[in-house]
Amino acid sequence: MREKKIDKIPARLDFIQSATGLILALFIMGHILFESSILISKEMMYKVTIMFEGYYFFGETYPGIISFLAAGIFAIFILHAGLALRKFPSSYKQYKIMKNHAAGYKHEDTYLWMVQVVTGFAMFFIGSVHLYIMMTQPSNIGPYMSSSRVVNELMGPLYLVLLFSVVLHAFIGLYRLALKWGFMEGKNTKVSRKRFKLLMKTMIAVYLILGTLSLIKYTYIGLTHDFSDGLKYESETIKMKEHS
Amino acid sequence: MSPDLQETRILNINILRFDPYDSKSVPHIQTFKIKEAYGMTLYIVLNEIREHHDNSLMFDFVCRAGICGSCSMLVNGRPTLACRTLTSKLPQEITLAPLPLFKLIKDLSIYSGEWMRGLNERLETWIHDKEEELNIDKLEQRMEPELADSIYELERCVECGCCVAGCGTIQMRPDFAGAVGLNKIARYHLDPRDKRSDEDYYELVGNEDGVFGCMTLLGCEDVCPKDLPLQSKIAYLRRMMIKTTMA
Amino acid sequence: MKIIYTDVLVIGGGLAGLRVATGVKQRGHDAVVLTLVPPKRSHSAAAQGGMQASLANSKMGEGDNEDVHFSDTIKGSDWGADQEVARMFVHCAPKAIRELTAWGVPWSRVKKGEHGTIINAQKITITEKEQAHGLITARDFGGTKKWRTCYTSDGTGHSMLYAMDNKAHKDKVEIHERLEAMALIHEDGRCYGAVARNLMTGELTAYVSKATTIATGGYGRIYSISTNAIICQGMGQAIALETGVATLGNMEAIQFHPTAIVPVGILTTEGCRGDGGLLLDKDGYRFMPDYEPEKKELASRDVVSRRMTEHIRKGKGVKSRYGDHLWLDITILGREHIDKNLREVKEICENFLGIDPAVDWIPVRPTQHYSMGGIRTTFKGESQTLKGLYSCGEAACWDLHGFNRLGGNSVSETVVAGMLVAEYISDFCDKHESSVNISSSKIEFFVKKERDKLEALLTKEKGEDTYELRRAMEKIMMEKVGIFRNGDDLQEAVHALEELLKRSKNIEVFRSKSRAANPALVNAYRTQRMLKVALSVAYGALLRTESRGAHSREDFPSRDDENWLKRTITSWPNENQTMPSVSYEEIPISNMELPPGWRGYGQDMTKHHHETKMRQKMVDTVKENLEAEGATRFEIQNALMPYLEKLPQKYRNKNERLGEKR
Repeated sequence: MREKKIDKIPARLDFIQSATGLILALFIMGHILFESSILISKEMMYKVTIMFEGYYFFGETYPGIISFLAAGIFAIFILHAGLALRKFPSSYKQYKIMKNHAAGYKHEDTYLWMVQVVTGFAMFFIGSVHLYIMMTQPSNIGPYMSSSRVVNELMGPLYLVLLFSVVLHAFIGLYRLALKWGFMEGKNTKVSRKRFKLLMKTMIAVYLILGTLSLIKYTYIGLTHDFSDGLKYESETIKMKEHS
Repeated sequence: MSPDLQETRILNINILRFDPYDSKSVPHIQTFKIKEAYGMTLYIVLNEIREHHDNSLMFDFVCRAGICGSCSMLVNGRPTLACRTLTSKLPQEITLAPLPLFKLIKDLSIYSGEWMRGLNERLETWIHDKEEELNIDKLEQRMEPELADSIYELERCVECGCCVAGCGTIQMRPDFAGAVGLNKIARYHLDPRDKRSDEDYYELVGNEDGVFGCMTLLGCEDVCPKDLPLQSKIAYLRRMMIKTTMA
Repeated sequence: MKIIYTDVLVIGGGLAGLRVATGVKQRGHDAVVLTLVPPKRSHSAAAQGGMQASLANSKMGEGDNEDVHFSDTIKGSDWGADQEVARMFVHCAPKAIRELTAWGVPWSRVKKGEHGTIINAQKITITEKEQAHGLITARDFGGTKKWRTCYTSDGTGHSMLYAMDNKAHKDKVEIHERLEAMALIHEDGRCYGAVARNLMTGELTAYVSKATTIATGGYGRIYSISTNAIICQGMGQAIALETGVATLGNMEAIQFHPTAIVPVGILTTEGCRGDGGLLLDKDGYRFMPDYEPEKKELASRDVVSRRMTEHIRKGKGVKSRYGDHLWLDITILGREHIDKNLREVKEICENFLGIDPAVDWIPVRPTQHYSMGGIRTTFKGESQTLKGLYSCGEAACWDLHGFNRLGGNSVSETVVAGMLVAEYISDFCDKHESSVNISSSKIEFFVKKERDKLEALLTKEKGEDTYELRRAMEKIMMEKVGIFRNGDDLQEAVHALEELLKRSKNIEVFRSKSRAANPALVNAYRTQRMLKVALSVAYGALLRTESRGAHSREDFPSRDDENWLKRTITSWPNENQTMPSVSYEEIPISNMELPPGWRGYGQDMTKHHHETKMRQKMVDTVKENLEAEGATRFEIQNALMPYLEKLPQKYRNKNERLGEKR
């Protein structure tokens, strides 16, 4: 009827929450995949690592890139967490109402949301720790250094919890994102939703298996490798100049 | 199943009872044993209880044909219309409770009318147009047949409140408009007779109590007795609202 | 004592009540609507099939106009209707539907080009005009010459009611929900409002008003099986009756709908047959053409219901544990059509019968459906005997339907009567004579009387069980005051009901003693009142020794205009009476536009009135002369039976139609 001044903030917040979620989920999909290169070989994992350090681009490695990436992800992570916090139960009363509702109703998608709340909450801490370490010690990535961190620095249990949290949170989030915005919903949303849900569950299974196996491999290396020569991995194919 | 082959069960009907107008009353579960009959619905069950077991049991039915939306209640935790719920589709233990969130009148009877009226007033769910110009002697305004059909598709909401009871968000944040409210906005937005602009709609639901409050739990979509396309319409509204802020 | 003053009190929040409330509100009068349930849950929502209005947009509606609609309505009523009222109605129906269009009803629209449809079990192609594209379309219904029934899929009543209630929200009409009118407040032949009981708290409030409107719908629930919502218990008629002053008209005129599902009695719309569905017997044989070769399944409702009953009596019904029934076959219409246009029917079949109507036949039998009778009013909707009391919609006997209502005319009546009566009430409220002249002690008297009655029900000892009386009443009505009636059964019914009424004075509410929300208490006082309504129906039926429309006497099978071209008027002047008082109101032939004739069903066995021939001749002569002079149909009509002056000024204009000169 007439031009109005509308408060655009709620729309922005909603959009940013979804967008950051999408970025983080895509990131994590890649992250775990690259991580699992250890399942192929240590050499493979090493190559992937130096790829991210810019070796194939510059001819030498710059762990600072990792640091920079981690900082970027950390920023998005904080933004996402901050926005998602709006949706958390804001009091014990609200939490209890929601818990009773989910328990009485027995509705799968409501449960899935509860899972996201719990995993999201867990990641506030574990995710932050992980991201902070990556940001501050970017050069400590590699077949032996990572394995050592898992075993000797006792990061293994933390990573396991993080793995389950992040995989569940990310794929449930992607599923919800698709429905939330009507992505490829087609003529019959009942059908498309069913397919998305199946895809979500499959991806969760695949990524959990992949992640767990990788973690086992890192643990295995960490337990069996003789670290007396130091943590550095010597590649069989790539001989890198030492940084001056 | 053929009526003769069906084994007769004795149903345990557990009803959450409470009379807020009686200071001595405390919420409690009362169990009634009812012999199941062929084609029995919860409408029949509850009337039988009232007539033969306890005449003070309060519940609401009006059309008893799944049309009016009066008889929504939690059946084994799930919000649904009791009148068209066949006992044959339920286990032997049946627990009935009033829908949460709405003001309780007594037992299974809730004051949903007041809540819905408040929502309708808040969202102004009526055609906004200049009525003085209306001349009812002349041919009616034309509308594409397909458009009329799609408006009717959303108009089929019966305000039963099942989507409200099925929504976790609204349980935590009672100011949330819920699927019932958002669906209505989608319906009027579709209707060319309503002259409200996108900005007008944004003012109504472009906030945390409106479409951006929805967490896509889809409890609404999964219990809607009229199978309204709630998921799809809320997604549509969300996109539209974002577009409005970009314009 | 709590008293709420308002200009117009409307009892009942369905289509008619809401239309009255918004109408008077627009004229600047305050309105309060009392309603048992949220207005959107009213029984109006259950009207599936459609609303009749002669728009003539669709191909099969071409040539339709007020004249055709009028003639269908009068024939349908078996000449029991008030012809002036019918004229007012058919003239305003297009206006009402266009108004509702502007208020948001998403009527199904005409789509230009070719469409497949089913007529008389044949697939037929209809080509809709380009000019009609996007205008309101219509479907076929029983007893109509043209396709005139406008619809929104099969949720017509629902979408009308929602539009109407939203309009009431917009106009800020006050709605007082879960309030039950217990008694009308009146003094010296003038009604001043009502005593209402809050069904949640039990509180009694006096609503004092200049005008009071009863729009509470029908009284189908005096029968054990009815398509009506369970709140359609005739309480509006009962409280009018209990004034001792207001009268009821044609209470015995009860319509049975041919196709309610067995056993629960939920309606499947006439649209099923209108769209091409068939009635089949136990052998899968389509029997209606044998009885009614011309209209077949689409004969008037009363006719189809009787034919079905006859056919069942011949042993052709399908046996079931709930009694015999027949089949409604809509499989022929195809899944796409059912999914789109008969969606409620589909849901009902799935949920209550567990069948798929696109594949399976639906078990149906005639079931109580509509009350043509009700509070007798003038064309203004005002009680003939109690000033300031108005009524409209199914609650009233305005007399649009006479002894049988056409499908699609009921929702149409609610909004048309609502819009007209709102104007007449407003006119009344504008005048000085409408001022409220009643002392507070008199108001107190009415409130106290209700309170005492409620106390008596709660404190009585060794009294009668409400349920027992109620079930007995329902059974009597079902078995003895049904589709076919006879003197012996009716006599028994009247005796038995009178006995029940006497016993009902001694009802005790067992155990459940709450003065607040108490379903047992509600059932008790309503049963007492329902018995009075039931007795009015049965007694009226017993006295009317003829068959007219839906009132069908096996012992008096012919329509008897000489003796019975009149309305039954029922009153209850003394509250100690155990039987209603009945008198009759002549239906004058001398001013009929359409003198009594044959409806065209079965054999013509009518005993005609001696004046009929004379009037018919006069009508023919006037028509011939005027037609020769080149008069328009409006001029001819006006010469036969002028009615326009009775309408409010703003509704007198002609209706625009495609291809009709204005």
